Amino acid sequence: MTLEKKRILIAKPGLDGHDVGAKVIALALRDAGAEVIYTGLRRSPEQIVRIAVDEDVDMLGLSILSGSHKELATSIIARLREEDAGDIKVFVGGTIPEEDFEALRAEGVSGIFTSEMTIESVIAEVDSQLS
Amino acid sequence: MSTDTPLNRRQISRELTRIANASVRDVLDTIGHSEAPAAFRIGITGPPGGGKSTLINALVKDRLKNRSDTRLAVLAIDPSSPVSGGAILGDRIRMDAIADLPGLYLRSLSSRGARNGLCDNIVDLLTLLETHGFDEVVLETVGVGQSEVAVHEVVDTLVVIVPPDAGDSVQTMKSGILEMADIVVVTKADQPGARRMASDLAAVLRKRGDRDVPVLQTEAEGAGVAALNQAINDHRAWLAANHPHALTRENRRRYHLQALIERQVQDALKAKGDITRGTLTASYDRLLAALRVK
Repeated sequence: MTLEKKRILIAKPGLDGHDVGAKVIALALRDAGAEVIYTGLRRSPEQIVRIAVDEDVDMLGLSILSGSHKELATSIIARLREEDAGDIKVFVGGTIPEEDFEALRAEGVSGIFTSEMTIESVIAEVDSQLS
Repeated sequence: MSTDTPLNRRQISRELTRIANASVRDVLDTIGHSEAPAAFRIGITGPPGGGKSTLINALVKDRLKNRSDTRLAVLAIDPSSPVSGGAILGDRIRMDAIADLPGLYLRSLSSRGARNGLCDNIVDLLTLLETHGFDEVVLETVGVGQSEVAVHEVVDTLVVIVPPDAGDSVQTMKSGILEMADIVVVTKADQPGARRMASDLAAVLRKRGDRDVPVLQTEAEGAGVAALNQAINDHRAWLAANHPHALTRENRRRYHLQALIERQVQDALKAKGDITRGTLTASYDRLLAALRVK
């Protein structure tokens, strides 16, 4: 139970309606011992930041398949900092092209997960960042 | 004790996390000297999938309508996995309509292994919310069967929901959680069987004290919810008039003391393997000695 008592928010910002990946990750995190909050589809950056703050999560995972990962991650990280919640680690998962990795990291994204990665490696990465 | 200042969400949520993971000693240091007035507590319980979260969504929206100065918190408990100890907390998904209300604070909780429909430190969390000036708290239990009646002891008004398709499970609820209900709600009233369920329930529910237990019907989109809010307010007024002691902090102290002691007993038994050595009397004395909070 490596992630015991860790609180993690899995959020779906933007307009894409596919949450199979988000749910798979949420279940894997639960099986690793975490308390996982799931937002449901199509939340705005404002809503996601409010949920992250109210739930006092250690980590926010954004599942984005629409291609607007840079805009959404940038907006959400900026709002978290405004709310004095810049210490919440932000991860992005979905269809993220490799050429965007550096830009996302420069914006403050702690980890990037793509569909090619195994669940085990995702959990291991979350675990090492949160411990 | 509402104020015009906005909720300090960051501070409230951090304090809740801290106290949720704190030792009994730290709990006492944090809330042990609080003189904050008791918030009005509404419990929502019922079987899994019965529509608790959906009802809270409509209920809170109606409750906060035209009351912009009211501070209301929702605590929603979901079960933890008995295998990993982790949890999926998904009650929020159905609480869309209230997610942006400025006076609302919504927190998802894991039952963390508790089997009574709550979590072991629920009273610590409720008391902490009171120190932040919340007027009302709505508590959603884990989806329960018949025997999880502990919620009755931590709230002022208990709403038990029954979906129309509950079928025979209602028979078992009749001796159990339904006996604790202050108000019964048949959810999903637009589905077949709802009216029949409501009249069946009204026929079997006995009076509680000198008060009839109302049986109401609600729909996801909000039909019947205003009547439910009225019934909740009526029950509160009835309590204040007939059982004023029930609404005081002192009355809640019993359950809180018991919860703290139970946690200490668990901690002591876990930490000291030698407590159970020797005769029953010897181990009992050893346990009592270990309970002294340092």
